[in-house]
Amino acid sequence: MSLVAEAFVSQIAVSQQTAFFVVRKGDFTRIEEDSSLFKAAEPWPENATLYQQLKGEQILLSDNAASLAVQAFLQMCNLPVKVVCRANAEYMSPSGKVPFIHVGNQVVSELGPIVQFVKAKGHSLSDGLDEVQKAEMKAYMELVNNMLLTAEITHARYGSPYPWPLNHILAYQKQWEVKRKMKAIGWGNKTLDQVLEDVDQCCQALSQRLGTQPYFFNKQPTELDALVFGHLYTILTTQLTNDELSEKVKNYSNLLAFCRRIEQHYFGKVSSSIKLS
Amino acid sequence: MGTVHARSLEPLPASGPDFGALGEEAEFVEVEPEAKQEILENKDVVVQHVHFDGLGRTKDDIIVCAIGDVFKAKNLIEVMRKSHEAREKLLRLGIFRQVDVLIDTCQGDNALPNGLDVTFEVTELRRLTGSYNTMVGNNEGSMVLGLKLPNLLGRAEKVTFQFSYGTKETSYGLSFFKPQPGNFERNFSVNLYKVTGQFPWSSLRETDRGISAEYSFPVWKTSHTVKWEGVWRELGCLARTVSFAVRKESGHSLKSSLSHAMVIDSRNPSILPRRGALLKVNQELAGYTGGDVSFIKEDFELQLNKQLILDSVFSASLWGGMLVPIGDKLSSIADRFYLGGPTSVRGFNMHSVGPQSEGDYLGGEAYWAGGLHLYTPLPFRPGQGGFGELFRTHFFLNAGNLCNLNYGEGPRAHIRKLAECIRWSYGAGIVLRLGNIARLELNYCVPMGVQGGDRICDGVQFGAGIRFL
Repeated sequence: MSLVAEAFVSQIAVSQQTAFFVVRKGDFTRIEEDSSLFKAAEPWPENATLYQQLKGEQILLSDNAASLAVQAFLQMCNLPVKVVCRANAEYMSPSGKVPFIHVGNQVVSELGPIVQFVKAKGHSLSDGLDEVQKAEMKAYMELVNNMLLTAEITHARYGSPYPWPLNHILAYQKQWEVKRKMKAIGWGNKTLDQVLEDVDQCCQALSQRLGTQPYFFNKQPTELDALVFGHLYTILTTQLTNDELSEKVKNYSNLLAFCRRIEQHYFGKVSSSIKLS
Repeated sequence: MGTVHARSLEPLPASGPDFGALGEEAEFVEVEPEAKQEILENKDVVVQHVHFDGLGRTKDDIIVCAIGDVFKAKNLIEVMRKSHEAREKLLRLGIFRQVDVLIDTCQGDNALPNGLDVTFEVTELRRLTGSYNTMVGNNEGSMVLGLKLPNLLGRAEKVTFQFSYGTKETSYGLSFFKPQPGNFERNFSVNLYKVTGQFPWSSLRETDRGISAEYSFPVWKTSHTVKWEGVWRELGCLARTVSFAVRKESGHSLKSSLSHAMVIDSRNPSILPRRGALLKVNQELAGYTGGDVSFIKEDFELQLNKQLILDSVFSASLWGGMLVPIGDKLSSIADRFYLGGPTSVRGFNMHSVGPQSEGDYLGGEAYWAGGLHLYTPLPFRPGQGGFGELFRTHFFLNAGNLCNLNYGEGPRAHIRKLAECIRWSYGAGIVLRLGNIARLELNYCVPMGVQGGDRICDGVQFGAGIRFL
């Protein structure tokens, strides 16, 4: 089975649940979210803030990608958010992962819960999709998460804004944690070539799905677009010791154009940072 | 001349300057009746030899320093007094389980007619002692294992290791202590520790891993301690619903600080004192020897006691402190002061006074707290002379204030801020003395001057601890 199909199959069960929620959507008084933290009542405040680690020295590739994905998603929903960089962002987060947003009284971390939270406030990018498309979107998101995220981790670097000897201690701790995570998902023994091969396959699947469309689903961006943009942009623009990852991505010109388009449209910059080979 | 025995005295309390002047507790000497009555007090004697029985790994030089004075005694009473003092010094080293003193006339070839031999019979402590305690407090129960290696290298060095395994947290510490031979009050110690604590009033969990080195020395009647400490502090949230102000403080920080403390303690005894005073002044400078936390911190503690008629004691105490961050960074919640609780301003919940955010108390950069107490024996004095002596009834008036200071405003504004909205309380209760260090209190409190945000405990409040306002 192809990679996408594998991920797709595992999402079928999830899509059943999604269908259940859609059917009951009309019955407002009975809508229950998973967590008591999601209060739908208040509108989006002006001072919503997104916290991530310090750029440059501290942030890991995967964390940078996640943060960009969330920023892109919020931009696509037209929700203003201020980005604050703090050295202790990952310790501040309730789940230990960055980025997290502080909206009113709530603190929500990671793209998945943030999408749910924003949905509860009445903004959603994937409302226009039908069930099959939603399941497909989730499948691709899983694919991106598994492939690109872990590919980035193999190239991780972790600097530290902390004083000696704390910087060494925390860097070792982080490396050890990352290695343990990779072993848990079976990537511990993969060679660099295998990782690149997997990344290539993932990009191929994405490129095929995108085709010549502006976004992955019709003409409207969805959270999948935000996620893919976050990861690809990070790979393309971060200076790494070897450029093989970004070379793999650059092979697919429609993905490059996709990244540029989103960057221009939602981040308002004319980019000279995505270099074509 | 007959033999004179000096019977061994009761073991001395571990702490406090109250060694008991000669004659207060000592059981004295039996002099075997002799045919010839000698007037012993004014008879000149010379101490010719001092013997030691039972030394194993203890080195000679620390013993010599302790008994040097015995040779200087001129008459019998002085010999007995100096021997007693030498015995106290030897016991305080913490390396002997028992010290017995025998004073005898000199025998042998070069014995003078008025020569005396003093013999110290000592039993050294074992090389390794262990202890096991269980502790209950602060919503947590824990098992504490201790290991002690006294007199490690023969000069009263001591290594202790303590491990505390609790239902919520685990802590451990290793400490090495070395006194200067001949001068026990001058000592040096190095500690390594990892301590975890939970502070539910701030919804905060703190793990400290640190190393400290300190040197203590006496200057006239005061005792000074100079310490360097390096601590890696990790702050975390106790619950998902913690306020954002406390969330912002989570993470790692490294504090490297130099501190100096001075203590003058003339209280007698040190727990439920009847008279005397205590003054403790402590200052700490952090940031100039590394680390990322920079401040200067000052705090003091003053207590005065006076005995009144009918065995009652009037006591006044005053605490205060100030924290000044150096540089741009704000002060950390782990360094700030807290106020309130059964050991501080009674009638308020533990550390639940002052600046707070959504129910989590953040502490303050300056505080003061004062108390006036009247301790009397239990009414009708049940168990007088025995168990009843451990209890006291207690009438108190406590007051205090805690706030953050805006250091741009100047000292007048600070004093004014600390003087407005004072929290105070009054009440009465019973105090139970535990050993020589701790106290239990059960009080009925009436808190007053309560400000918005403070949590009070009006009515009955129970407290246990070592340091009480």
